[in-house]
Amino acid sequence: MAAGRLRGRSDADLIQASRRGDLSAFEEIYAVHAGRMKSVAFHLLGDRADAEDAVQEAFLKIYRGAGAIPFEAGFAPWMYRILLNCCYDAGRKRRRQAESQLDAEPAAASNVPLAVALRHALGRIHPQYRMVFWLFEVEGFRHSEVASILEIPEGTSKKWLFEAKRELKRLLTETRA
Amino acid sequence: MTFECKDLERALAVPELLPEAREHAKLCGACRRELWLWSEMSNASHGLREEWESPELWPRIREALAAQQKAAKPRPQDWRLLAGLAAALVVAVSIFILALSRPAPAPRQDSDFLTEQALREVERTESAYRASIEKLSRLAASKLSGSENPLTIASREKLLMLDGEISDVRSTVEHNRFNSKLQSELAVLYREKQDTLKEILQSAQKN
Repeated sequence: MAAGRLRGRSDADLIQASRRGDLSAFEEIYAVHAGRMKSVAFHLLGDRADAEDAVQEAFLKIYRGAGAIPFEAGFAPWMYRILLNCCYDAGRKRRRQAESQLDAEPAAASNVPLAVALRHALGRIHPQYRMVFWLFEVEGFRHSEVASILEIPEGTSKKWLFEAKRELKRLLTETRA
Repeated sequence: MTFECKDLERALAVPELLPEAREHAKLCGACRRELWLWSEMSNASHGLREEWESPELWPRIREALAAQQKAAKPRPQDWRLLAGLAAALVVAVSIFILALSRPAPAPRQDSDFLTEQALREVERTESAYRASIEKLSRLAASKLSGSENPLTIASREKLLMLDGEISDVRSTVEHNRFNSKLQSELAVLYREKQDTLKEILQSAQKN
């Protein structure tokens, strides 16, 4: 996880400093994680403004909950768990479904036609499989981290990734046939 | 073991079998395409990541954090106003139903007596409602204690805040029993506490 050490200070140091009201320490945490958090939120909400709102809400909750951060379980998974909850809340409130992102333009990709088809196919698979696929393949989390974020066993994360890819392969094969 | 096309799916699930699958794919076009697609999905997925600049986001968060630190108590929000109206409506409907279900009206009652009677109905309803919420609280207590989950901590803080507010309003109501606004406010707080407890229990059930 990229958040291990930031400018010489560990996550634990930064959180300790944040607890004492040091916003610059909290800004360092933001600087490392915000990009990927926005991407995850965008995947779930399908809109950049909504994604930014969810990230903002998540950071406010992270700051409030700084006293209870479970370092032994990993700081980043805890943060992303909060983010996912914020996204689910936002999704419920705004009556938006994750599938709405299917209308969005794809990001620059080396393999654009497959990326486009993949984006569409992702919208058609089981949401749990999709979430694992997204965190592992798109965002680059390890299975242990995905498991911690989604609060599932690591073996389940691996199984869901396999199921996701199998479903995607089937859908892509159908599309291309 | 001779690798066959039907073994491909198992090989995709068990990485140790992949070398055999690749060997087989050299001679089998269908399996070669399947293997190619399997790995290309991973390659193409990196392009799905959404990245954009948000120079205004951190200043927004910083402002919100500063405001959060300054605010001693959360301000009443629109949803609370709506919840207040809804709770007042619930209380009014409860009183109406209770009044309708009475066997027969007293032959002569002056307006003071009627007011006192209505108030007692409200107090009885509140008392029953409070008892139900206490039951919920006991159920939720075990889920809340000792948990370090940030959302549980937030719920615990919210419940503490609500209990404080309920206690304040109840002590005010005791000195001014005929103030319907205070009664409504109390009902809102009870409703909010009930909703929070429900969320905790539902969340615990899901986990």
